[in-house]
Amino acid sequence: MTEREIRARPRNRVIVNKTVAPYLFLAPFMLLFIAFLIVPLIYAFDISLYKKAMVGGVKFVGTDNYVKAFADPKFWEGVGVLFKFAFLQIPVMIGTALVFALILDSGVVWAKAFFRVSFFIPYAVPAVIATLIWSYLYGPAYGPIGQTARFLGFEAPDFVSAKWILGSIANIAQWEYMGYNMIIYFAALQAIPTDLEEASVVDGASAFAFATRIKLPMIVPTIIVTVVFSIIGSLQLFTEPFLIQNMARSIINSNYTPNYYAYTLTFVGQQPNYAAAISFLLGGVIAVVSYAFMLLANRRIDR
Amino acid sequence: MAVIELKDVRKAFGAVEVIGRVNLTVPDGAFVIFVGPSGSGKSTLLRLVAGLEDATAGQVLIDGADVTHMGPAERQLSMVFQSYALYPTKTVRQNMSFGLEVARLPKDEIKARVDRVADILKLGDYLDRKPRALSGGQRQRVAIGRAIVREPVAFLFDEPLSNLDAALRVEMRVEIAKLHQRLGATMIYVTHDQVEAMTLADQIVVLDKGAIQQVGTPMELYQRPANLFVAQFIGSPKMNVLEVRPEGSTVTFADGNRTDFGALAPATLSHIGFRPEEVELLAEGQGHLQGTVEVVERLGSDTFAHVALGMLGTVTVRMPGNVLNIAPGQRVGLGLDVTQLHLFASDGTRLS
Amino acid sequence: MSIVGKTSTSPKFRRNRWLLTGVLSLYFLYTFMPLFYVITAATKSNQDLFSTFGLWFAPDFNLWDNLHTLFTIQDGIFLKWMGNTAYYSSISAAGAALFSTFAGYAFAKYSFLGKKLMFALVLGAVMIPQTALVIPMFLMLSKLGLTNTAFAVILPSLVFPPGVFLMRAYIDDAISNELIEAGRMDGAGEVHIFSSIAFRLLMPGFTTVLILAFVANWNNYFLPLVMLNKPDMFPITVGLAQLYSTAISGTGGVLLFTVVMTGALVSIVPVIAAFLIMQRFWQGGLGAGGVKA
Repeated sequence: MTEREIRARPRNRVIVNKTVAPYLFLAPFMLLFIAFLIVPLIYAFDISLYKKAMVGGVKFVGTDNYVKAFADPKFWEGVGVLFKFAFLQIPVMIGTALVFALILDSGVVWAKAFFRVSFFIPYAVPAVIATLIWSYLYGPAYGPIGQTARFLGFEAPDFVSAKWILGSIANIAQWEYMGYNMIIYFAALQAIPTDLEEASVVDGASAFAFATRIKLPMIVPTIIVTVVFSIIGSLQLFTEPFLIQNMARSIINSNYTPNYYAYTLTFVGQQPNYAAAISFLLGGVIAVVSYAFMLLANRRIDR
Repeated sequence: MAVIELKDVRKAFGAVEVIGRVNLTVPDGAFVIFVGPSGSGKSTLLRLVAGLEDATAGQVLIDGADVTHMGPAERQLSMVFQSYALYPTKTVRQNMSFGLEVARLPKDEIKARVDRVADILKLGDYLDRKPRALSGGQRQRVAIGRAIVREPVAFLFDEPLSNLDAALRVEMRVEIAKLHQRLGATMIYVTHDQVEAMTLADQIVVLDKGAIQQVGTPMELYQRPANLFVAQFIGSPKMNVLEVRPEGSTVTFADGNRTDFGALAPATLSHIGFRPEEVELLAEGQGHLQGTVEVVERLGSDTFAHVALGMLGTVTVRMPGNVLNIAPGQRVGLGLDVTQLHLFASDGTRLS
Repeated sequence: MSIVGKTSTSPKFRRNRWLLTGVLSLYFLYTFMPLFYVITAATKSNQDLFSTFGLWFAPDFNLWDNLHTLFTIQDGIFLKWMGNTAYYSSISAAGAALFSTFAGYAFAKYSFLGKKLMFALVLGAVMIPQTALVIPMFLMLSKLGLTNTAFAVILPSLVFPPGVFLMRAYIDDAISNELIEAGRMDGAGEVHIFSSIAFRLLMPGFTTVLILAFVANWNNYFLPLVMLNKPDMFPITVGLAQLYSTAISGTGGVLLFTVVMTGALVSIVPVIAAFLIMQRFWQGGLGAGGVKA
């Protein structure tokens, strides 16, 4: 057969060329993205500009809801709680995750794979169920922590009291997400080429110095990303207080966190317009804090 | 089989022009090599021929037909990639059949072609293996086989040997030369290795900064480089080039030394060039230039002496065989054949 | 690893090994304690739950009774919840992983108009508070009469931006541009190249995203909480939380306490099992995402 014959053969024409292809591949995701992200956001923004009047249905009020939200102490109290929570929880979680990742990566310990997997297991447990389990553990009468304390002859603190509640919630987050962060750091550490390690041995560095002075700085970009995600997650706190509220009605009120507040406003208070404004304002706070952190972190790196 | 023509072809990525107005004709059955330093646009030019990149302006013609707006496969070309780009999940046979299956050739025809090509390339024993179970040389063969089975009008090679070790590279170079003789097909081959270019090509196209510097046979390029860039790019060790200022019939070197070049010094002369074998090592005080031997490299077949000429730079001298009576530190004279010098104007072009 | 390997006989190294293994073991006890508690609590009667030590079994083994109560309560609604969770999360995860893979492939392997903008939009989406999305979504879907349907939970879950980032990073590494170009030279169309050359190569990444999306959906609480109010539509998370509220508020009787823990046990066993079986995938995948991010 000659090439002339192939040329004469009817070919299956390439209909989707490389100009059209990316849009085709993106279409399913982007259409859903628009339908379930962009459109609801626009809708939420739209309704946040209206208000349900006592008489005569809804009316346009412009930025009134935002002005009101901006001056709403219930919103800012919630933001305050979140800030306290984030400052308490994120450093501890990231710190332990880093230390454990470095220990596992250095290979000093026994049963590395066992620790790696078992620390990650809580991530598979739904936050709802983790909160349920911990709220049982916190129980003053039947909780084993209280029982143990009594057995040892002292009284365990009331974990759901005003003084301890934030720590109790932070503990749940620590239990759930430490392993997730640890695994990410571990993978980043493992990706560092081994010739670097050999070079530092030649330089006479100790394993500890190598881990802290060479390996740790190399995964700083990964750490920054995980911290940003933790900030975003923390500021959206909802499930844990929403469920623990059952045990601590007097302490966790319906505006304990901004997300909780927006939820209550919508489904209890019948004020979806105002709730939308609260959500947007929270989105703004999240964006500002995340951005500020990244700016700060990057400036540190540049120096 | 196919004449490939480029007419006023331009390629820009955004504001960056990588190929500017290239005109080139690749004759039927020729083995043409694009050489140039990295970033010269040689690979981009090949990809424009292949249809993997769209030209910003101009036309690509194959056998007179305008293929500028056709996809790669419609151009009936095959390409061998630097990384071989074998489909990792397919066996050698499936790799070679894929293009034919896409073209909906009958099954028995596909099998016959693959078997025939596997026979030529001695791949018969590996047809059921996956690429990862093959050595570098075998993978290279499969990539070539995949190109051959499609019976294209021309073959395109994008630095096909650069991932092989030195010994294998020489072996595959010879095989590709044989393949060209056997198939008689038009081949365009991109490389940065000038030994590959000199040994394989019917015609070499030297590119720099997205423009063709010279097109010619290897010997034309070696003997009559069109400009300073080609002069220094082709040949190893590279051509010696010295800056000069003509004054009547004499030229003055940068260090103030004067030499009488007779009628050979045109007014626009700014550089003279001579290949390492076009300069003679003489005793101190003789010849046109004086210097000190810095390094002596002995290859057995040749001896290279690197002679420092003070502020003029260094000149490389090639002598056949193992020349024993030179050593570093020795003061020597250099003799030039003034009738054989390559002369270049201040813009770098050759003065005949 | 080689550093410490070379000195593994030194007394200092051996002391560190004991010390650090000890530290990790303590944290392991902390990690394991709640899970162990679930197991013991699920085997106790309600009376024993209050009267015996939490972290050990009661003499009276009550697991079968608890399971019986769990699966028969409210006409066997718990089984329905499990079925709902499996249904919602498997469809959501499969769709999310597939669409993320398509989108990641487009971002990784093509240059096109609007690429930067679209990717920035997807990246920015993670900052949006859940309430800012889910509440308007609820209001919109309720206008369309779609709340209290499986659609309301599944459709929004098909959008999984982390999957897109992960697949983009994975495909960047796993599939060379030359491979795609080889397919083009062979005359295959873009869709054919994706399906017959690329897809098998990105299977490991796809599997990671599938697992992560599955877990995210299995664990999802807020979306179904808002979208669904018929108990027989609930996933386990919403159902158990409701059961717990009933238990603690006392209206359903103290009886429910151990049943909630039994439900927790039954619902986390499949996810943990899936994690243990498929650890090769999520460990590799989280790494790829983390290093690249």
